[in-house]
Amino acid sequence: MKARALVRLWSIFGEPLWIVVSMGFPVLSSLAFFLLYYSMGAVSYVGFAVLGGVMVSFWGNVLWSMASQFNWDKQEGLFEIYLTSPASISAILIGMSVGGIIGTLPSAAIVTAFGWTLISVLQLPVPVVGSWLAVALTFALTLASLYAMGMTLSSLYLVYGREAESMNNVLQEPVSLLSGMYFPSVGTFSPFPSAVQIVASLIPLTIGMNALRLALFSTPGADTLALVFPSLAILAAMAVVFMAVSAYSLKALEYKGRKDGTISVRIR
Amino acid sequence: MPSVEASGLRREFKAKDAPVVALDGVTLKVGQGEVFGVLGPNGAGKTTMIRILSTLLLPTGGWAKVMGHDVEHEPEKVRKVINMASGAEKAGYDFISAKRNLWFFSQLYGIPSEKAEKKIAELSETLGLTKYLDRKFYALSTGYRQRATIARAFVNDPRVVFLDEPTIGLDVMTARSIREFLQGEARRNGRTIILASHNMAEVDAICDRVAIIDKGRILAEGTPEELKRSLGVPALVMEVSPPREGFETLSRIAGVKGFTSSTEEERGLCTVQVVVENDAAARAAEDAIRSEGLKVVASWRKQATLEEVFVALVGQGFKEREEEGAG
Ligand SMILES: Nc1ncnc2c1ncn2[C@@H]1O[C@H](COP(=O)(O)OP(=O)(O)OP(=O)(O)O)[C@@H](O)[C@H]1O
Ligand SMILES: [Mg+2]
Repeated sequence: MKARALVRLWSIFGEPLWIVVSMGFPVLSSLAFFLLYYSMGAVSYVGFAVLGGVMVSFWGNVLWSMASQFNWDKQEGLFEIYLTSPASISAILIGMSVGGIIGTLPSAAIVTAFGWTLISVLQLPVPVVGSWLAVALTFALTLASLYAMGMTLSSLYLVYGREAESMNNVLQEPVSLLSGMYFPSVGTFSPFPSAVQIVASLIPLTIGMNALRLALFSTPGADTLALVFPSLAILAAMAVVFMAVSAYSLKALEYKGRKDGTISVRIR
Repeated sequence: MPSVEASGLRREFKAKDAPVVALDGVTLKVGQGEVFGVLGPNGAGKTTMIRILSTLLLPTGGWAKVMGHDVEHEPEKVRKVINMASGAEKAGYDFISAKRNLWFFSQLYGIPSEKAEKKIAELSETLGLTKYLDRKFYALSTGYRQRATIARAFVNDPRVVFLDEPTIGLDVMTARSIREFLQGEARRNGRTIILASHNMAEVDAICDRVAIIDKGRILAEGTPEELKRSLGVPALVMEVSPPREGFETLSRIAGVKGFTSSTEEERGLCTVQVVVENDAAARAAEDAIRSEGLKVVASWRKQATLEEVFVALVGQGFKEREEEGAG
């Protein structure tokens, strides 16, 4: 598990181009929203853009580096090595997640630094952080449930190949939008009808983003921890549920993969 | 207790029209420390067999045990004592050094780091990989990547190792050093090696026992010597001019068990090898060629090879069998 995390890191940092791409994209997209909010005069939303940039890095990492990386592993024949070893696939995936999170930190830090600089240069109102504990907890739980969801997605690759990959691609954009990476997608300020909002709130990212906004950009004096508590409880529950689902689906789909003969990619 | 045991092993795959029977009732027993070859043409079922035995695929019939554990119902127990490698895949992380790749794979078996490093150093030394250990995996030539893959398959001190065409696409020298390594591992460390291959010379050179398989069935089994001796009289080789295809008339001669042919454009002739039961059949075969208006430039008798054993069993060589399968 630790080993898989290290491999993930060595891979990320062994490839300079990948670092540029993975950092450049969130920086650019958060800049775009930043400018949009700024030009609209919605200065209080500007912080959302920065936060969105940070979280989009992690979401991208879940989709690209977890689920898709797993597909790569399959194509390269690494899957067969994992499966014929006594190591559990869950442990390998957790290792991959931890490596992915650590590997994404620099890119998240750059987006934050970049946003901070813009905010101070433009002399925008600086967000008041009510409770760092609330921020840290929300952040940790959001990542936990997000990566647990990534593990569930990964299990699909035991049976499916390209189908699962295209689903992954399809998920990328709408989820970024629905979960409100750059603006609140559920609640009073949401631009979406309530049906869409219900679907959106099933994604841990949506709840996490909302809670993070609450925790980071709170009204001074409010009890932030109490405010985000319901979200924290939901996120924790989601993390547990996704972990359980992924553990089950990894087992079930491994069996199905062995039965249908889909674990190995046939090179012809 | 045999290291590997299978009984009536069968595997069907769903296909559009009729199901494909990849393995059709395979029964075998392989003892500890044996290098056991599975020899057959493309599509014979070798990979399917390796995948079932290494817990990647379930049989649709029959059963198999590795070190006494059932591959279908106790995969976790089997996985603790095996490892595998396939020559067709280049398994490893490209942007990480060969050494770190090997270390990572050792961690899948929970081997303490120091012990793993020692083992990696030792394996690399025997495989001539030491100088290349710090290279990124993608920067290794095919031969060294393959050496690293072989090293990986032994990193956990497995009792049984499954190898699917481990020397495919390698130059003669590299292939030879890998073969020597495999033989050493079986002899010195008592590991059982199951080697699937369609390279007759390879199987002949390193396997203690061979199962010849075709269309999912074992046709013959024994030591390479036994198999070759079973043919009795040496095979007949003829150089025939002008070159042409199709010598089916040969199969109709009594005492001819099968034949293969290959064309040598530069020399303007083709070489026909006929597996015969006795000298009379050999003479009849030569006469038959002449009576078709062809010239027998030269002819001689030679000791049978494993390919000829296969020819004797199915009446065709690997090449002809594969072309027939494709067409
Ligand atoms: N996953 C699969 N789905 C459908 N058919 C399959 C599958 N795997 C193998 N087959 C079929 O089973 C038969 C045996 O294939 P297998 O790969 O075991 O042969 P092989 O002896 O390893 O051949 P080669 O020398 O080409 O590697 C072939 O007809 C093949 O097309
Ligand atoms: Mg094969």
